[in-house]
Amino acid sequence: MRKIIAGISVAVVVLGTSCKKYLDINTNPNQATSATPELILPQALVNTASAINGYNTYGSQIAGYSANAGGYGGFGEAITYAFTSTGTGLWGTTYDNLEDYQTIIDKTEGIVAYNYFNAVAKIMKAYDFQLLVDAFNDVPYEEALLGVKKLTPAYTDGKTIYKSLTDELDKAIATINQTATGVTPLGSSDVLFAGNVTKWKQFANTIKLRLLIRGRGKVSFSNSIFSTDGFITSDALIDPVYVRDNGKQNPAWNTWAYGYTGSAANKAWMPTTFMFGFYDGHTLSDDGRGAAIYYQYPATGTNRLGYENYDVVSSPTGSFWYSGTDRDGKSNGNHVGILKGPDAGLPAMLAAESYFLQAEAVVRGILTGDGAALFNNGITASFKYLYTLPDGTVSGNPTDDAAAYRTKNASSALVNYALATTDDKKIEAIITQKYIALNFIHGHEAWNEYRRTHYPSIMTPGNAYTTFASVVSESTRPDKLPTRILYPTSESSYNSANMPKGITPFSSLIFWAL
Amino acid sequence: MRKVLSLLAVLVCFVVEVSAQSKPISGRIVDKTGQPIPNATIAIKGTAKATVANSEGNFTLNAKPGDQLNISAITYKTFTIKVGDQSSLSITLETAERLMDEVIVTAGGLKARRKEVGTASTVIKGDVLTVGKSTNVANALQGKVAGLMVSGTGGGVSSNFRVILRGQRSLTGNNQALVVLDNVIVPSSVLSSLNPEDIENINTLQGSGAAALYGSQASNGALIITTKKGKKGETSITASNTVMVESVGFFPKIQKKFGAGGTAYGLDANGKPSANYIENQAYGAAFDGVKRALGAPLEDKSQDSAYYSYNDGHLKFWEKGITNQTDLSLATGDEKSTFYLSGQYAKVTGTTPGDKYNRAVLRLNGSRKVGNKVTVTYSSSYTQNRYDITSSTGSMYSNMLNMPSNVDITKYKNWRTDKFANPNGYYNPWYQNPYFTADNYRSVSRNDYLTANIELKYTPIPGLDLTARQGLSTNNNSGKNTVGAFIYTEYAKHTDQSSKSDISASVSDGSGYTTNLLTDLLAQYNKKVSDFSINLTTGVQFNQNQSKFVGVSANGLVIPNLFTVGNGVGTPGAVESNFKARQVGVYGDLRIGYKDFIFLHGTSRNDWVSILNPENRSFFYPSVDVSFIASEVFDIIKNSPINYLKLRGGWSKVGQVNLGTSSDFGAYYLLPTFNPTNGFPFGSLAGYTVGNGLVSNNLTPEFTKGIEFGFDLNAYQDRITTSVTYFDTKTDNQTVNTTISNTTGFTTLLTNTGQTQTKGIEVTANVVALRSKDWEVSVGGNYSYEHNVVNFISADLPKLFLSGSGTGSSFAMGGKVFPVIMGYDYERDKQGHVIVDRTTGLPTKTSEIVVLGNATPRHRLGLNAGVSFKNFHFSVLFEHRGDYKIFNSMGPEMDWSGQGYRTAVYNRESFIYPNSVYEDANKPGTYITNTSVAIANGNGNNGFWTDGINRDVTSNYVTSGSFWKLREVSLSYSVPASILGKTKVIKDATISVQGRNLFLIMAKDNLYTDPEYSVAGNDNNGVGITGLNSAPPSRFYGATISLKF
Repeated sequence: MRKIIAGISVAVVVLGTSCKKYLDINTNPNQATSATPELILPQALVNTASAINGYNTYGSQIAGYSANAGGYGGFGEAITYAFTSTGTGLWGTTYDNLEDYQTIIDKTEGIVAYNYFNAVAKIMKAYDFQLLVDAFNDVPYEEALLGVKKLTPAYTDGKTIYKSLTDELDKAIATINQTATGVTPLGSSDVLFAGNVTKWKQFANTIKLRLLIRGRGKVSFSNSIFSTDGFITSDALIDPVYVRDNGKQNPAWNTWAYGYTGSAANKAWMPTTFMFGFYDGHTLSDDGRGAAIYYQYPATGTNRLGYENYDVVSSPTGSFWYSGTDRDGKSNGNHVGILKGPDAGLPAMLAAESYFLQAEAVVRGILTGDGAALFNNGITASFKYLYTLPDGTVSGNPTDDAAAYRTKNASSALVNYALATTDDKKIEAIITQKYIALNFIHGHEAWNEYRRTHYPSIMTPGNAYTTFASVVSESTRPDKLPTRILYPTSESSYNSANMPKGITPFSSLIFWAL
Repeated sequence: MRKVLSLLAVLVCFVVEVSAQSKPISGRIVDKTGQPIPNATIAIKGTAKATVANSEGNFTLNAKPGDQLNISAITYKTFTIKVGDQSSLSITLETAERLMDEVIVTAGGLKARRKEVGTASTVIKGDVLTVGKSTNVANALQGKVAGLMVSGTGGGVSSNFRVILRGQRSLTGNNQALVVLDNVIVPSSVLSSLNPEDIENINTLQGSGAAALYGSQASNGALIITTKKGKKGETSITASNTVMVESVGFFPKIQKKFGAGGTAYGLDANGKPSANYIENQAYGAAFDGVKRALGAPLEDKSQDSAYYSYNDGHLKFWEKGITNQTDLSLATGDEKSTFYLSGQYAKVTGTTPGDKYNRAVLRLNGSRKVGNKVTVTYSSSYTQNRYDITSSTGSMYSNMLNMPSNVDITKYKNWRTDKFANPNGYYNPWYQNPYFTADNYRSVSRNDYLTANIELKYTPIPGLDLTARQGLSTNNNSGKNTVGAFIYTEYAKHTDQSSKSDISASVSDGSGYTTNLLTDLLAQYNKKVSDFSINLTTGVQFNQNQSKFVGVSANGLVIPNLFTVGNGVGTPGAVESNFKARQVGVYGDLRIGYKDFIFLHGTSRNDWVSILNPENRSFFYPSVDVSFIASEVFDIIKNSPINYLKLRGGWSKVGQVNLGTSSDFGAYYLLPTFNPTNGFPFGSLAGYTVGNGLVSNNLTPEFTKGIEFGFDLNAYQDRITTSVTYFDTKTDNQTVNTTISNTTGFTTLLTNTGQTQTKGIEVTANVVALRSKDWEVSVGGNYSYEHNVVNFISADLPKLFLSGSGTGSSFAMGGKVFPVIMGYDYERDKQGHVIVDRTTGLPTKTSEIVVLGNATPRHRLGLNAGVSFKNFHFSVLFEHRGDYKIFNSMGPEMDWSGQGYRTAVYNRESFIYPNSVYEDANKPGTYITNTSVAIANGNGNNGFWTDGINRDVTSNYVTSGSFWKLREVSLSYSVPASILGKTKVIKDATISVQGRNLFLIMAKDNLYTDPEYSVAGNDNNGVGITGLNSAPPSRFYGATISLKF
């Protein structure tokens, strides 16, 4: 018996010493448990591109770029505007993306070597938060992105966020300007400006300009002066070198044109008649951009949102927004227009938007400059973007075609800036041209600007050419449009104490909205 | 069935005439002390001849030399004697072993007499398990044990089960009972792969206390399965064949008045919506029986048609499944060894068209004595499962529901040859032909289990056993999912509103394994010291789990029907995962008995786990229980009809690290992860995104503490057996994996927080109501009441999301029953009336989700009865579950399609929302009963029933989950020996017919499906939501013939 007890004791001792080794096997062989800013930044920027694609879908549907296509039914709240879940996926996508930028900021704050990464992450954080505020108004900001430190973040007033974002953009520019010695270049991690920090500063200024214009009169900004770097003058494209492959296509192409196998993408939506009127002569004449954008132009199928009868044509495989006639889906996609091809970059901001923002800033007295020149530059920049092929080369002559456009519509104050004699007319011209330039590229921005200015002008009740409001709108507003989407169900589930209550799609306004 | 009949014919041939040269024989039956035993039954074996002894133990009977007399009496062992030349007999019967002295297997493979055990446990014998001839052990346990809830979480040939003892403890961790097979802990999925015929018995250890010795996996109770062994000096071979038919037992209730169409197609002269020839929604005109075109004309100008009237194609879509099961076994044994060998082959077709499954199981068990001191025991089983099923049950079902009932679904089966069934010509431009869906989206998989166990027991001195045990259970699986290509004709793509799009072929293939190694080294010491008995066990246990999975996939297959990854375009998808976790436990178990009437028992165990940080990896937990046999002590009981009364009680604490799943074992959860997504890497450009999971810094084990007490009372020589147990357990410091607000930057959080509590009562009673020469009638039942609540979670997290489908979710919420169903309701006044708009009559959806009911049954009842008459045996088992709710996520789809029964209750006309009120225009805040304001559009397809105001309101589809099921019914006949005759080839022959789930009575408001189903699957605690991914519930019926050689 004693021997046995002794034996057991020995066994226990041996066990104790070898136990630690036996149990130290919890190192993850499947996933990385750390990553450098160099590795996080490219992924974060590409995630932003995917998010923008989602925002464009939401904005294009509400702001009159896209309508329900034939062959599909059950659009429900997408055509009645009685929103419950429309666009609420944007919330999670954007905060997920923000966490990537926040992680870079947390890893690099105060580390001079990572100044550029830190500044870029701050600029993109401002970009993302503006997307959120413009869609949802008050959102968690100061208490957001703190992980386990704050599980139910409080909501911050949209105005306060706007002010803070301009301050952060100033800080980001200051960080870039701090020093160039010993600072790690952005290098290939920068899939937006290829490491050009001057362009990043211009981008920061342009975002700040957008915040200042939109928040004008509502937000007391601390600094309305811009750094001397100016604003962006070329399209800011996110491009990790998209390619026709599994998960690697331009997100807009992938959503609307073809899958990488050549399969049909989303065919449930088609261009609106309202938008088409800006090209086919009903409202304005613009064969140049119309033909660049639309398949079978001018015989493109169009519809008015909410019209579900059985005479609505169905969308062709590859959609009406891909204008190329080679439509096999497996080798095509090297074309001008909106859906250019699987390997085109995705715009984070168009040069046209930058020019139109500057033009408006001149009207509003935020900047000084030649408003007409900026306005015309905006139109030309739009032609230029739409005439550009996926590889960046320009097909045709956008400058000449823009001039021809001005000539053809010389009698319209929406094109001929000289005819816009009042500030209000100027704003209408600027916003309407921006609306045309953003067509199915940044629908959300068009939607923001509509809500802020009520341009482009629409008529209620109107027809398919004079209003983009749904035929079956349940909106109680005079323009028959909604005012906003709702907070996602996830917030009412997991953060209900903080989530603002009583939000409705027809009466709750984003703080800058009319 | 033909097989059964032919075997019957063979049996009849064995009938042999018995010659009659009987003479009267008298006798007397006494016990060991010479006292007479009254009322014993004396029967001549193999005949119907029998008599009963009188109160003095005397009897007379006509018998002939060579006859075998069976003498049986309650509480005595049955005795057999051969009639010789004598004319009088004196027979002494030995006292039978009483139930309380029966030895059962308890935690850790330790054996104890029933009377010694201070915790609740229920033993189910093998023959009780197999009475319904289920191929699945989990299925066979339903309704048979108090405190055990076995729910089939899905239908179909590969149905899964959720096995819960005494309610759910862990908020987001594993709550399923531990499964122990021949002393080896195995994954609970093994339950579905065992051959039920191999099982000797299953001992259910209801509470954590009983199972504490099994270590940290024991807090959920345990099912201890012991498989059959050979017996000394007895050789038997059994062969049996079972054929069972499976048919749909309940189909969602559909409306039968309206067919395809809707208001979007215009209104007729009476203002009613028109019928339409392509519409999937059944919101058209009322059926009129007129033959109408169906679908657009095909390219060849032909056009399908159908009578515009109801037909029951929806029911006939589901087929009759057949299960054909063959069993063979051999058991033998001698002085030194035992041997058991068995095989089973089952071939199953399901109710879903084209679904097939087969299973083969082999088992080899045995033991051998080596010398006087060493015994070797081994058991092993190999199961191969082969599935060939559709991977798209949900869309097949929804496609089928989107066929209005004027369309005869069954006409569209031959889609390859019938032009109207072919996707090109199929009448509906938006929803696929469900037969095509079932055929084109396939999953072929194999899933094999090997479980084996060897045990070496060395007894150096009497009373001391040293045991070494090695268990192995490994699962090896692979599967291929395929989607066939379909290229539509240009005509089909562009005819009439078509949204038909080419289907490109794709394939995904994966394989993996999980292996568990369990090593036990233990020493047991038994000693009797005067009135005391001491039983001490100490041991150490090593447990290692390992798994691997590799999956590849490709899309756009170039050669359409070549389903291999190399045939795709673009970069193939590829995933890999590897997991390993280990655990070491050291335990002790001491049982002290005094005078065989009081037993004190304690266990203690310390575990070390690899999956937590070193500072948290060690944890200790003890348990104690006591058993007092009052019937051995008090004369007042001894002199009553009560022959056994045990009072028992216990306290226990069990630690558990509730992390992970059955395939990752909780490994590698402690650190946040970074992953390449969104197409990365692009060429040489790598990118990683921050993972969405948050982990708190110091994860620790959660502890379940509980008490239980109760009694077992048997009376009238065990003819009445009862057992009552009360329990109350609390689980603290839970490891919770919960969804959190995206605004934190993350979507899930893993942390320690919260407390759940379960209390309840379990009652079991069985009565042998009648026992005579020819008859035995017994009735019994088990009842469980469980109050399962979440006491609190945390200040930051008042509620936890568990699972969801559509607008309904299953949540754990502080202060509420665990779990609750949450979702949207209509705005209501204080009395609960729905508030409608005073002009439109339309209700308003609540802006936030609210609690809509508790999702676990509080009351469960199993009722069983058995009647034996001569060689016939009849048994029946009912199960009831009550007092809970379910959310039927198929409801919104049914209302969408217009098949939903609800959509036609107002005849598709304008209606006043029932029990509604509207706000008094003059007195805001006060409400007027609505008798006048009707909802204008009472149709769908642009009307109330398809609008969000109906379909997005969760409460419209929350119904009672209560049900009564006839779980099992069986009638068997043992062919008498007199018929089997002298051939001696067949020792025993039994034929039986049986049925399972023959009827299902559900609450009236449940129009949808089996409330046992759970869209969350068998591993998720978020029960209470059913959906379309399961075939409708089935009933099974069939026959078995079983022969023993």
